[in-house]
Amino acid sequence: MTHISPLNFIHKNGKFGDYKEKSENDLLKVSEINKLLIFQIAKFKNSKFDISKIKVDNLNLPSSLKSSSNSNTRILWLGPDNWLVFSSNLDLITKEKKQLSEIDFAITDISHSRTIIELEGDLVDEVLKKGCPLDINSFKIGDCANSVYNGITVTVDFISEDPKKIRIFGLRSFGESLYHSITDACLEFGFVAK
Amino acid sequence: MLNIKCPYCGDRSQKEFAYGGDGTIIRPELNKDISDEKWDEFVYLRKSPRGKHIELWHHIAGCRQWFKVQRDTVTHEIFKTAKMNEEIK
Repeated sequence: MTHISPLNFIHKNGKFGDYKEKSENDLLKVSEINKLLIFQIAKFKNSKFDISKIKVDNLNLPSSLKSSSNSNTRILWLGPDNWLVFSSNLDLITKEKKQLSEIDFAITDISHSRTIIELEGDLVDEVLKKGCPLDINSFKIGDCANSVYNGITVTVDFISEDPKKIRIFGLRSFGESLYHSITDACLEFGFVAK
Repeated sequence: MLNIKCPYCGDRSQKEFAYGGDGTIIRPELNKDISDEKWDEFVYLRKSPRGKHIELWHHIAGCRQWFKVQRDTVTHEIFKTAKMNEEIK
């Protein structure tokens, strides 16, 4: 089956907004992340399974508002006993389904139902502040949070500090609206779409 | 705009939450006979108190958990929040 990314029809490479007379390093960078395996792990309410014993791609399941990562995989905390895993290792879900019993966990492949927008640059916080009510300054690298961006439910993953980099996850069906909201917010700073 | 302290995520803006009504209503026991009047009372009848009130809120754009909030309906001051299995005294 042909893979069509959620932002295929609107994400075009180039420079946009107030980018003139600015060096490329000062501009925000907006890119779409795709072709990742994305799945959700939910532990059932009645399960007494000890999650500290679980390793997903050698990573622990993170605690509240935290993420854990290695070069292939990131795991985000979504809520109590609920995690979002995304990985470039496309076979990971098959391995994890063997490890995590169906009696204790629901593992759902949602690779085709999310859009991921990556923002990079010193002004990332300013872009977030325009549409998201989170107290941005209280979040550090390795944190993640669910919130809204201009009314669209999103998950924000704080990836790195230098360069400042975050990923915003939204539902695929809201992908184009979310992309327009974010790129509109970037216009005044100037941005490079990659 | 209210700032609500989710027991799981901490202080968040009201934009992330949905109001869930009176938090003191108790569902009639399962598999027991109940009069139409009592059922009607459970489903439809709600008080509209002035002052401290325990409410349910849903962190719909956050951790998606329901929890209890003790709020003053006049000043909107929030005194306490608690998980569903915890009591607010």
